[in-house]
Amino acid sequence: MVNPGYKYFKGEDWVDPTPPPAHLPTVDEVGTTGAPLKSAAFFIGTQCKEYNEDFMLCKDENRNPEHCLLEGRKVTRCAIDALQKIQSKCQVEFRAHWNCLDAKNQDFGRCRKPEKGLNDCLFAAFGWKKDVPGAPTNKPQIHERVPLTN
Amino acid sequence: MPVPFESLIPFAIISGMFLVTGTGIRFAQTKRNEGKVARYSLDDWDRKMLQRDKQLTGTDRGQVDDPVAPAEFKVNSAWKVYDSLRNGIA
Repeated sequence: MVNPGYKYFKGEDWVDPTPPPAHLPTVDEVGTTGAPLKSAAFFIGTQCKEYNEDFMLCKDENRNPEHCLLEGRKVTRCAIDALQKIQSKCQVEFRAHWNCLDAKNQDFGRCRKPEKGLNDCLFAAFGWKKDVPGAPTNKPQIHERVPLTN
Repeated sequence: MPVPFESLIPFAIISGMFLVTGTGIRFAQTKRNEGKVARYSLDDWDRKMLQRDKQLTGTDRGQVDDPVAPAEFKVNSAWKVYDSLRNGIA
């Protein structure tokens, strides 16, 4: 990113000169980019629901970053754990799905076939089901709908 | 007398110009997006995610799926530099 005012200093070369204080525990950062993250999003959501809700409630109290460092570390670790599990068992289907998402402007609705492969593989490996939170319960969820045509 | 071929030349020129601009735009977009289709209808979330992707991979449309980020990712964020642009959001 370009930092306005730093005309001859590209944002891409920026290295933070103020590292975090030594008394804070270190945590690995999540290394997936946008498309794989979106593909795994609903599974991370069901697996890490408690940690995510804790973090959101903590942030609701106080937006200062220092206040929610502990909950933030838990969220990061849980997301990394979920992604490692997906990669260990279903890497081929996962890659197919996020490559499709990347090519289709990250629309879930345009990539239902690879998504079905990924959902079936994850259900067989771990028993995880993709669940859209807040969806109406009296009809099938959007990714399980059978189209009227074709 | 049948339709003279000279009168259809302007139509051919006009269609050719449409082809040229269409091809040129598609070439420019493909070049800019590393062979992928351009993203559209980006909201704030998507823009910030694209910026994060650039921080992780170094290119605009590169994607990686390692669970753990490389060590450079912890210190190459320029987000802190602009407090004034963030409207008080941490």
